[in-house]
This record gives sequence, C-alpha cells and structure tokens, in this order.
Amino acid sequence: MATFELYRRSTIGMCLTETLDEMVNSGTLSPELAIQVLVQFDKSMTEALESQVKSKVTIKGGPILVGALHISLASHRDICTLTDFATMYGPSSYRMLVFKSEDNQENVGRVKIVACDSKLLTQ
Amino acid sequence: MAAMTTSAVYIQVIEDVINKVREEFVNNAGPGEDVLKELQGTWEAKMMQAGVVIGPIERSGAPKTTPGAPTPVHDLNVPYEGTEEYETPTAEMLFPPTPLQTPIQTPLPGTVDSSMYNIPTGPSDYPTPGSDTGGGGGGGGGGSSGGSGTNNNDPKTGKPSQFMQPPSPWMSQRPPLDVNVAYVEGRDEADRGTSNQPLTQDFFMMSSGKRKREDLPPQYHAGGYIPQQDGAGDATSEVFEIEVSGGSTSLGGHGIVTSANKEMLAHSVRSCSKIPQLDGPIPDPYEDVISTPNIYNYQAVFNEDYNIANTPAPNDVPAGTPAVVAQNDVGEDDDDEPPLNENDDDDIDDVDQVEEQNTQHLVLAQFDKVTRTKSRWKCTLKDGIMHINNKDILFNKATGEFDF
Repeated sequence: MATFELYRRSTIGMCLTETLDEMVNSGTLSPELAIQVLVQFDKSMTEALESQVKSKVTIKGGPILVGALHISLASHRDICTLTDFATMYGPSSYRMLVFKSEDNQENVGRVKIVACDSKLLTQ
Repeated sequence: MAAMTTSAVYIQVIEDVINKVREEFVNNAGPGEDVLKELQGTWEAKMMQAGVVIGPIERSGAPKTTPGAPTPVHDLNVPYEGTEEYETPTAEMLFPPTPLQTPIQTPLPGTVDSSMYNIPTGPSDYPTPGSDTGGGGGGGGGGSSGGSGTNNNDPKTGKPSQFMQPPSPWMSQRPPLDVNVAYVEGRDEADRGTSNQPLTQDFFMMSSGKRKREDLPPQYHAGGYIPQQDGAGDATSEVFEIEVSGGSTSLGGHGIVTSANKEMLAHSVRSCSKIPQLDGPIPDPYEDVISTPNIYNYQAVFNEDYNIANTPAPNDVPAGTPAVVAQNDVGEDDDDEPPLNENDDDDIDDVDQVEEQNTQHLVLAQFDKVTRTKSRWKCTLKDGIMHINNKDILFNKATGEFDF
C-alpha cells in the first residue's frame, strides 16, 4: 500500500521523528529500524484519518487581504515530499483564511497547505 | 466514532504503530521490548509537551506507556533537578500553610506531648512537612517528628549549597527574622575583621537549631534559583536573541548576575549549584568585550568613515587591554562589521517571519479535486491534519475556496 510521507510534518510525526533521531544518535536504534517505524507511522496515520475522523472543515479566503497563502498541490506519482511542493509552487499573495469546522472556527492570516493527490494512494 | 478528539486519534496511532512495529523490535535480533517502550514513552512525552496529547488520557489509553512515559515527562518539566529534589518541593509547597495553622491546630491534636513542646520552639515550621503530608491535623505531631525528619531530609538531599543560600527565601516567611539576626551577626563579625572563620562557626552553631529552618529555605532557593536558570535557558531562545542584539542590556544583566554570585559565594562555600550560573556569566564578559565594538559599530553604522576615528576614543575609556585589541580589530573590520550587523538583523527578522509563516499554520492533506474558474480556486481535501493557532485539528473532508 502506498503511503504519503507528508503526515510526518504534523505534530505527531515531528515528535516521532525527533524521538527516532535521538534514539538513532544514541545508538539504541538502528537507522533501518527507525525508517520502518516511520513507514508504519505513515500507514497508521493514514488509516486513522480515513477510519476514525469524520469531521468536515471548510476553508474560505475571506474578503480581507491580509497575508499570503502558500498553497501546494502536487500531483506526483511518487511519494511526495515537502521540498517538492515548495519548489513547484511558490508563495503567492492571498487573503485571510477562515477554517470552519462543526464546533469551532479559526481565522488565520497565512497558511501553508500541503496536499498530495489522493488518487495516488488508490493506484 | 463521530467525534474522536485529536488527542484520542493520536494516542491510537501511537499504539497502532508501536504494536505493529513490535515484531521488528523483538525478533530478528532487534533492540528488544525495552527500546520499544522507550520509543513509545519518549514519543508520548513529546506529544504531551507539545500540548497535542492530554496526559491522563494517554495513560489510561495506553497502559504500556507507563514504564517509559512518566520518567521522560518529569525530566522535561524539571530538567535541572533530579527526582529527589522534585519530591522535596512538593513538601515545601505544603509547608507555608502549616506554620500558620500549626499554632491553632497544635492544641487540638495534642497527640504527642513532645510535639507540643517542639512546636513553640520554632522548628515547628520544618517538622510540619513530614507530618503535614500525612495529615493537616497532625501538624503538632509533625513538629516533634519534624525535627528528626528534617535532619534526615538533609542527608538525603546531600546538597549543602542549598542550605547556605536559603536565608533569603525564608525572609518571606516567619523564620526570616531569625535568619536575619544570624546573618547580621555573621556580617558584623566579618566586618570586625575576623576572616571567614567566624562565619563558618556561626553557621555550624546555627546548624543544630537553625539549620533545620534553613534547610527548607535552601530548597526554596534551589527551586527559585533553578527557575532562574531554567528561565534563562528557556528565555535564551526567545529573549536572549534580543538581548544579544542590544549589548547594553546584556551587560547590565551580567553585572547583576556576577554580583549575586559573589554574594552567594561569600555566604556559602558550597556554590555547586551556582557554579553553572558562573559558567553562564563567564562567557558574557567576553561577549561584552565583543559587544563593545558592536555598539561602536552601531554608532558608526551611519558613517563608516567616522567609525574608525570614533571607536578608539570610547574604547580607551571603558576597558584597558581589551580596548586595545578591540581597536585593532575594529580598525581592520569596521568596513565589514557594520554592514554585517545590519544585514544580520534583517536576515534574522526575515527568517523568523518566513519560518513563522511556514510553520505556524500548516495543513497536511490529500486533495481529491482542485478546480479553478478565473481567479477562484476550489479544492476538496480529505484526511488532513491542520495545525492552526497552535491547535491540531483533524478532518475527514475539507472544502476550500480561495480568491486570488
């Protein structure tokens, strides 16, 4: 099953990456095993998002011009990495964003969106 | 299932990963179960530190975490002090109320006659900790046991430095008066011309009766000092940068620290805990030397040509030897340094802003469809993690509309 590595950039993924780095540097863990753990994390995180998260969110660019939206949409056939997005899509000026879910609303001036083509997982 | 909190999902992901990787760890000459537990514990600890996972839920949700998780968490919260000290502060927290209560409570309990006697003597403040933890009503009894208990506590901690420093913290509480008297006496003797010997003697004398009081204060001090160190360490990342930029502020802070350290040394021979502080300030003087040229450079920034001429004059006044070196360096590097300073500041600001933009608010997701009609973009995202306003939000679907 193909997986995206992009969730490694999330809080949980960064925490895991830091932990693995520390353990590899201290010699308690082999790099190979650390990579296996990361791959497993990719799978588990993807599955959890598919099966356990039901919330819906709407994102809207408001009328007020505040910041810049860094939107990155990649249609790689390969597993995508952040650097790829960054190089493919440069920052562009954009407006205030409103993130709305069922129970709360967040207003943000600038956001970076990193998205991989969901079709890549099904192929 | 409809509403699973982000924390719950994260915990489940952690468990899932750990369980599915377990084979790799245990079999094939892997590092073993212990390393796996360490991984899980550290991971969860980092998650809790990040505020993404709620502690109690994690423990209940993942029983396996208990072995590894708790220790790292404590370390993160209180990196400086070991577990031993960690216990002491908690007892200290209880102490303050006890002294006030003890006088009233003592008559009521009266469980132990000796305790009654002990309470008035003054050690009551100390003894309370041991008894207080057991029960608030036993404050009187605590007084009696406290005398012995405090003595026992001292050897456990085994940190004399803390005892020496404590006098100031007690000042806030009742004992301060006694401590002050003892302190004044020591100073008077020192002033009279007697060398350090009198001070040491006084402390020893005090040790029998007053050390107990001082013992607790030292702990407070230790706590107080530790926060300072921690604060400094923590602040370094945020505040320090600012201070470094402004040489003057850093200088003032260093001066204060050094003076405080001197006092500490004078008061207590054991300044082990403070020695690290000394290490901190030591580099500062060097920075000062370095900073001085920077200050001059700032002045010179406007007119580089004048810098060379101006720098020597100010340098001569403040510092002798370093000034000479500084002059030479400044003379050679003036042209380079001023622009560097300006550029450095700008670069730092720019970098920070860029990083903030990129890291503070982040959406990681898969997109199903992205369409554009003229300047209006519509996108459908799914299975995403948003990190917005320091909150992690998971979503199954998200629709976005952006007008460029």
